[in-house]
Order: sequence, then structure tokens, then C-alpha cells
Amino acid sequence: MLETLPHKLRAYGLDSDVRTLLIMYKGMQKGLVRTLGDLYGLLKGLVVKDPRMLGPFTKAFYDYFLNIDIANGETLNDAILRSKTFEEWRVALFERDKTAMDLTDNELIDLFLNEVHLTSYDIKALIDGRALWDADNPELEDENPQETSAERRVLDKMADYSDLSLEELLNRMNEVMDRQKGEHSGGSHWIGTGGISPYGHGGAAQGGIRVGGTGGGGMARKVIGSSHFFPVDMDRIINDDNVDAVLASLRGVIEESAHEKLDVESTINKGLKRGGLFIPEIKNISEQKLRVLLLIDNGGYSMTPYIKTIRELFKKMKTRFSHDLETYYFHNTIYDRVFEDSRRSKPVFLDKILSKDPEYRVFIIGDASMAPYELNKMSLRTYKKLTKKFKRLVWLNPEPQRYWRHTYTLNVIRQVLEMFPLTPRGIEQAVRKMNTFR
Amino acid sequence: MARTEYWEGSEKYLCDKGLAQAFHMARVLGMPLLIEGEPGTGKTELPIQYAADNDAELFVFATGSKSNVEQFVARFDHVKYLRDSQIEILNAQRSEKGLDKKLSTGGRHSENLQDYVVKGPGAQAYSSPHSVLLIDEIDKAPREFPNDLLFALSHRKFIMPESGEEISVDEKNMPAIVITSNREQELPTAFKGRCIYHYIHFPEPDMMRQIITKHHPRMDNKVVSVAIDIFYHLRSIGLERAPTTREILNWLSYVKQYSNEEAIAKIVKLEGVGALIKTQSDMELIQKKILTDPDDFSRRSNYN
Repeated sequence: MLETLPHKLRAYGLDSDVRTLLIMYKGMQKGLVRTLGDLYGLLKGLVVKDPRMLGPFTKAFYDYFLNIDIANGETLNDAILRSKTFEEWRVALFERDKTAMDLTDNELIDLFLNEVHLTSYDIKALIDGRALWDADNPELEDENPQETSAERRVLDKMADYSDLSLEELLNRMNEVMDRQKGEHSGGSHWIGTGGISPYGHGGAAQGGIRVGGTGGGGMARKVIGSSHFFPVDMDRIINDDNVDAVLASLRGVIEESAHEKLDVESTINKGLKRGGLFIPEIKNISEQKLRVLLLIDNGGYSMTPYIKTIRELFKKMKTRFSHDLETYYFHNTIYDRVFEDSRRSKPVFLDKILSKDPEYRVFIIGDASMAPYELNKMSLRTYKKLTKKFKRLVWLNPEPQRYWRHTYTLNVIRQVLEMFPLTPRGIEQAVRKMNTFR
Repeated sequence: MARTEYWEGSEKYLCDKGLAQAFHMARVLGMPLLIEGEPGTGKTELPIQYAADNDAELFVFATGSKSNVEQFVARFDHVKYLRDSQIEILNAQRSEKGLDKKLSTGGRHSENLQDYVVKGPGAQAYSSPHSVLLIDEIDKAPREFPNDLLFALSHRKFIMPESGEEISVDEKNMPAIVITSNREQELPTAFKGRCIYHYIHFPEPDMMRQIITKHHPRMDNKVVSVAIDIFYHLRSIGLERAPTTREILNWLSYVKQYSNEEAIAKIVKLEGVGALIKTQSDMELIQKKILTDPDDFSRRSNYN
């Protein structure tokens, strides 16, 4: 059941595996999931491990559970408006509530979002029946399902699933899923009959609870955090907008290491004072050093658009984390020298670079695209020497990854060293890679 | 699991709804709650206030750059052990010589290895049911700490060093575990995977007003409005270190001693702004702003 969910989440770049499902089932068993909004909240806690991933997660969730596919750069409103799910929901809404026809599109979307993101916590707040909720403690869920106070019925109508066994719930979800997958599903989805929607049980909205009204609208928008909703696209080539996201990824290079070491001197000194009782003294060694070498290809017009941003990025990094940063330039590929200035007039020979501390992190930034003859033996030997000396060396390439395989020289270089795209995600991966060498 | 009632803050503490829900989920599932967010957004407050409000015992492990799991779980005090065993020999020698007075080991017995186990907050929390365990600022720890911790936490069982004593807790009595991080370094993916994650966004102005009211209940509305307005303006001009909740609260504590008009005048003149601005370059930036557009801040006093 729902076994395709991790796959979908992964397709959106989120970390998810079978454990996500297992914990989700556990949460259902414990009564955490009664509405689609609950499911959103639970999955969010399980899958979103970084504020930047909230956007992709929301996209994946809407795609998987609501069949609403938010295209890149599209606003949530537009995506909802053009979706079939919303259309069907609107038809159903108008059927049961004629006054809703007067609402504007935006109000309708607010209402829709509120329904989607209605959680049992909200229901609780709405009914304002504390005792009821406490009696409805998830741990007690099986003891007294027949209990029927007036308020309780309201909760039932709001699609309380605590009476359903886990299996039934999953079955139901699966059914909905299946029907959703059908091409022309014709009115069967989460927000319709039989879905997990709070309004699913035959128009419970007439029971007198109107979420949009009490929540003041936009309640759901708060949940998905409208201002944080469209995050930096993690796969976009670095530009001025996402430079901060990159910076956050780069922060990982600064690695504070702490380890313990036997302090021989102090062990002897103290042991002598103790009259020959030697107890090993441990000393903590913590160091925070970060030295970065930046080798930038600034020849050729293909690199021009990125140079400024890259320099900006590393400058920011320098001011933010104070460390040694040395920048050198080259044209297309490195032979026996790089240059201190961007006009490439002051050469620095490779031997000098190679004589640096191997602890340096080295970023080579370039598109690695050149005429095949330019990438000669000498140049390749240079890269080999560099990778041998600096264990933490990566190549960042601004060229979109999907074109990489078409460039011959790029692939040759890739055989010698690790290459990552110059995107927030790529840099994050690069940094992670760098940190695995210890 | 820990206590599973939904808790949404107390009189003194305004808990963001999303955070309250995540915390509830974590307790129900018996998983640690990992809270990340900018400094000064009240991450640490959650477990402290929760424990206070529910009369639960609170155990805090403040992580530092030298933290290791032994400190968190328990360590064996070798020095005491060695001393006590030597004292026993000494005592034996003394009694041979007919001396009555014995040296004390403080009630410890070197046969009882438990006597020398010093329990850390982790082991203490596991031995007291329904407690609250806070692991603060885990991002300060060395890289291997989170992963070591993960192993300890996911087995709900600690084995004490040397004595082999086992401290375990069943799911029912599990402490509520809250871990906070300022994102100074990325935590390992595997670690994050075992936690319920919540990121605290910086509060919106409405929320900020509510937080201020909780802390300064008698403060005049207009003073608060002006302060909030300037505060968010300062946050938006791209300072190196944007002021946080804690800092606006401190700032308001400073102006509280004055009458309302005076307080507003002080706020728009950015008096006591040292409470908000923490770096030299930010200070320079603000002074430059005041020079180029002197009305930028003062016109905000017309706020109603």
C-alpha cells in the first residue's frame, strides 16, 4: 500500500525509503492520521529535513495525493486552478452549497487549501471540546468507538478515522490511489467521495463547521508557509538569487574536528605528583581550520556569466567564515601554471600550488569544454598530481548536467577527478564528498 | 512513548502551531524531535517550558565541541575506583598493625562497580519515566557524535560501562526527547532520518507581537508597534547578523523604564540599539543609513 510513495518523494529529490512508510503506518496506528492534513504534517516531519526541501515536498505531496502537478516556476494558485482535482471539488462544493458560487477564485482556492490542510488539531480547536478530544486520545482509540455524544458525531463527520482499522484505512487510501491513477477518474479523489477528506463523508460541511470561515482563510497557506513556498530551485545553476542557498551548503566544508589524544607529558607530570600512580591523561584536540583554493576558468565566453557570482559567493564565504581563500585563474585547462589575476598576467607555477598543505580544499570551476587537443597529456598529468596531493578536490561545472555526456574533454577530465554541477545541490554533494575524506 | 497529550504552549510560552504538532507527533511515535532554526527563535524554550508546565523532570545535555556519547550516557570513574581499591589495601595494612582508624571510601565498595558509574543526562532521563530530555545545540558537536547518539537512542537501552548494568526504557515511559540545532553544520542524513524534523521560521510580525505580549504584558501597544516595525525594517536591510526575538525583547526591556512618548522617541532614534546589533560592520551600515536618509527610522513613529 502506498508503496510507490517513497519513489515519488525520491523523484522530487527527497530522502525517503521504506522506513518512511513504516513510521507512517505506525503513526496511523497511533491515531495520528485522520485527515489529509495530518498526513501532510506527519510526512513533512519525516521527510523534510531541511527548510529548503519544504517546497519540493509540497510539490510531491500535491502530485501524489491530489494529482496536482505544480510545474516549475508556476504558482500554487495557477497549478490548483488548472487541476482536475480542484475542478471536481468545486463542482461538488457548488452542489452542496450554492452560496459558494459567489466566491472569487482566490477565495475558493483558500477554501480548498484549508480543506486539504485541515488537521485533526484544527478540528479539535474548532470544536473546542477539550474533553472530547481527550476522550479521543489515540491510545484509547479502540475502547469506546460507539460513544456518541453530539460533539462526537461532528468529529465523526469530519472524517474521523480512529474507528477504522489500519487495514481499512490503507485499503481506502489505496482505492483512491488506484482511481486517481486512472486517466479519467471522474470525480474520485481525495477531496471527493470516499477520500480521506474531512468533507468526504457526504457533505459533513453542513454540520455547521466551516473551516474557511473560522480559520480566517489562509490557514492552510500558513501551513505550507506561503512566503517560503517556492524555494530556491536546488538544480538551478548558481545565480544571485540562490547564492545564499549555496553558501549554506558550503558551510559544510568548515569542519570542526575534535578528537582525543593521550597527553603523555601531563600523564607523566601528574603521575609523578601522585607518587607514581600513572593515570592516562587525555587531551582534547579541537581544530577548526579551513583553507580553500579556488581555481577558476575565466577564459572563453562560456564562463563569463558565472565568474562574478562565483567570486561573490566565495567572497561572502570568506567574510562569513573567515578563512584562507586563494583564487587563481586559468584558461580552459591547467597545464603547468595558473594565474594570480583575472587578466592572467602573473603566473604561479604548479609546483608552488602543489607545495601547499594537503589540507586545502580545492574547488576547480570551469565548464571543462575545449578543443580535444587542448587537453593534452601534460594537462591530464596536472590534474592527476592535484588529486593526488589534495584529497579534498572537486570540480564544479556550470554546464547543465544533462549536456555533460556530449562533451568529450569533460568526460576525460571526469575520469580523473570528481565533478559536480555548479548548483546548490551539486555543491552540497561536493561538500559532502569532500568531508568523507578524513 | 512519552506523554502523548497534545500540548500547545503555556502562559509563558507561545508555541507555534506547527511546532506543537510536530512535538506531539514525535512523542506519540517515540522519536526524538529535531528542531532547527535561526538563533533566538525559542528552540530551547520548548522542552524547558513543556517540562515546567507538565511537572516533568528535565535533563539537559548541552553539546560542545568536545562532546562525546560517554558524557551523554555514563562514564566510569576510574580515579575513584583506583583510589578506593588502594584505600582497601591501606586499611588492611592498618588493621594488621593494630590501627583502628580506617580511611573512608564514602560508602562505595570497589566490588560494586555500579558505585563508580557516573550517569550522564541520557541515562538519567531513561531511568526516570516521562521525563524530558533536551540535547541542546547538537550542531556544535564533533561530526561523529550525532551518529553515536543515534545508536544509543534508537535502541532505547544503554549499557553502563564496566558494570555492564543495563538501563532500558519501554516505549510507554520513553522520555520526550528534543534536540536543537542552529545549523552551524549539517547533521548526517541518517541521523535526521531517525528524528521528526521541524524548522522554526522566523516569526511573522503578528506572532512577534504575541510573543512580546507574553514577555512584556503591560507594554503600550503603540510602543510595541513602532518597535516591531523598526525591528523588521532592520532585519530587512541585509545585516550580517539580523536581530532575533531575544534581542527585541531585551531592547524593549531597556525602553520599558521610560514613559511611552519617551520610549517611542528612543526607539526611533535607535537608542540602545546595541541590544539589537551585534557586529561592528552592521553598526556602521546602520549609521550610514541614518546619514543618507535621516527620516528612514523616525517617520515610523507615526505608526498607529
